Amino acid sequence: MSAAGRCLHIALAIETKNLTKTYGEDSDGNPVGLADLTLDVEEGQIFGLVGPNGSGKTTTLKLLLGLIYPTSGSALVLGQPIGDPAYKERIGFVPEGPYFYDHLNAVELLAFYGGLFGLSGKELSNRTQELLELVGMWSRRDIRVRNYSRGMLQRVGLAQALLNDPDLIFMDEPTSGLDPTAQMQIRDVILSLRERGKTVFLCSHLLKEMEPICAGIAILNRGRVVTTGTMTSVLAGDEGLFRLEAEAVDAAVAAKIEGLAGSMTNSGGVFEARFATQKDAAKAAEILADGEAIITHLGPDRRSLEQAFIEAVKGEQ
Amino acid sequence: MRRKITSDLAWAALFAIIGGLVTIGFSGDKPQAVAIAWIAVALVVIVPAALNFPTRFFGQLMPPVWRVATATFHEAWRRRFLNGILIFAVLIIMSSWVLAYLQPGAELKMLIDIGLGSCRFFGLLIAVFLGTRLIADEIERRTIYTLLAKPVSRAQFLFGKFLGGYATVFANVAVMGIAFYAVFAIKAPQFREIDPEKGATTYSMDFMYANIAKAIGLTFVELAVLVAIAVAASTVFSWIFASIFSFFVYFVGQMSDFFRQLSDPDHGASRVAQILLGTIYRVLPHFEIFDIREAILKDQAVFWPVLTKHGLQGLLYVVIIMLIGYLCFNEREV
Repeated sequence: MSAAGRCLHIALAIETKNLTKTYGEDSDGNPVGLADLTLDVEEGQIFGLVGPNGSGKTTTLKLLLGLIYPTSGSALVLGQPIGDPAYKERIGFVPEGPYFYDHLNAVELLAFYGGLFGLSGKELSNRTQELLELVGMWSRRDIRVRNYSRGMLQRVGLAQALLNDPDLIFMDEPTSGLDPTAQMQIRDVILSLRERGKTVFLCSHLLKEMEPICAGIAILNRGRVVTTGTMTSVLAGDEGLFRLEAEAVDAAVAAKIEGLAGSMTNSGGVFEARFATQKDAAKAAEILADGEAIITHLGPDRRSLEQAFIEAVKGEQ
Repeated sequence: MRRKITSDLAWAALFAIIGGLVTIGFSGDKPQAVAIAWIAVALVVIVPAALNFPTRFFGQLMPPVWRVATATFHEAWRRRFLNGILIFAVLIIMSSWVLAYLQPGAELKMLIDIGLGSCRFFGLLIAVFLGTRLIADEIERRTIYTLLAKPVSRAQFLFGKFLGGYATVFANVAVMGIAFYAVFAIKAPQFREIDPEKGATTYSMDFMYANIAKAIGLTFVELAVLVAIAVAASTVFSWIFASIFSFFVYFVGQMSDFFRQLSDPDHGASRVAQILLGTIYRVLPHFEIFDIREAILKDQAVFWPVLTKHGLQGLLYVVIIMLIGYLCFNEREV
């Protein structure tokens, strides 16, 4: 089967075609909002949407959730046109800095949202307990929302988004404001969702968190997609090269490596070199270790998401 | 558990009030019979309320609307301005006990004017200020994001907000109505017995008890129209402008008959006046139909067919206004 033939059989959780939302123009005459967003998000995938502030991430989310209407273009979410209440039975949404009715406690809040899905009785109470335990809020279930910290709001925000066991979960900065332990817990929840075949559409500034978990990625800048594809393709560096990074490398030690490396820099306390073969890279690492340098990275030449992001955004400016 | 008991009691009280008002409406001038009927109704409704019947029934019939409405109702009671208005209104109504004496000879009129006037005026304040904040607060506090991301259509959301807001207004005015009825039941017979030779006027009270219940019932209909206007206006305007707009429609609507006369060619209205004022008359709700104070003071019977007609007219206003509100809200971006 050809590559194109195989693509036809991939089920898409989200499919947008030239999705555009214009709010007006900036002082340079460029449209403000989102322009010509064309994305395919496969089912069962964690997909990351990143971009600087004002790049159109929240606009994209609002469009996909039917909270605002596109100026032009179209989108399907789980096969349904955006705004159709039918697909909302199968999605969950974790907003950034969630806002809830603040006179309710966690159990009442989940009971309210669960009721909107037709959950009630034992089924609802079991689901509520299960989710509050999952996000670490069961012991604090009687505290009113108005007394929550930002981290507690995020946790309950995640719990309410999972009430209906959704097939697709939209998350806007889900770990924002959380301590490192809580961030790890949320990441574990996201990974467990993927293991269960769920699709996660993740918007975040925390690029280091996105890199290891996202299979697909799109980088937005000024309302346009500047890079999109699988994480591997977006982060790919020079084909077949190996990269060695180290700190506190003495100039004399670096000189010994010069003959092995294809390219090398050593400034500001940061040493970086690229090698044609893994053998050369390993030999160079040995020299550095003997010279008491601190090796920080040795592996195939691959950019970090942060580098890819900065390069993509710079290229646009 | 505590919430369930509170909710059941609230339902029981609500049914008792509705049942009581209907019973009074039919009973004429028989306060004892009314009291017995009222207690009977209260007892009968406690059973379904204890079984949480309304939540079971309406919750299954229209889950999202019901959930939004109950959440709105519970949240509305936590608004301090609303509690303040209710307390102030009840105090004013209770003070009619004393204020009625300020107009010797017209004590009964004072009692009715203060009591019914307070129910309508404070009901108006609550309906407008609550109604215009229902949608605005959801957008301002961003609670609407999580709500509309659930399987809740905009129509269900809007109707739920209206129902929850109206239930709050209804309950508040019901409390005022009970306070007024209590003062009236105690003081009215005393004022009736004042000696005419000392300057006081006697009143016939053949229909008065029933008419007051009917007047409160019509106030409920009038306030439903107002809540609908406030909610619909807030889908287009900011809550401040929506409040001004709602008050404007209410006060102009009170004078609809005046506009009809001004647009009447038999009264010498010009062609422009006929079109302009005639349109105002036809478009705006006729709020004066909900005011039967004159009939109360003259102790004339207010017949059920008339009341039913006015009630249905009010319901029609609500349906039309909410449809307009839905069309506007459906276009709005949140």
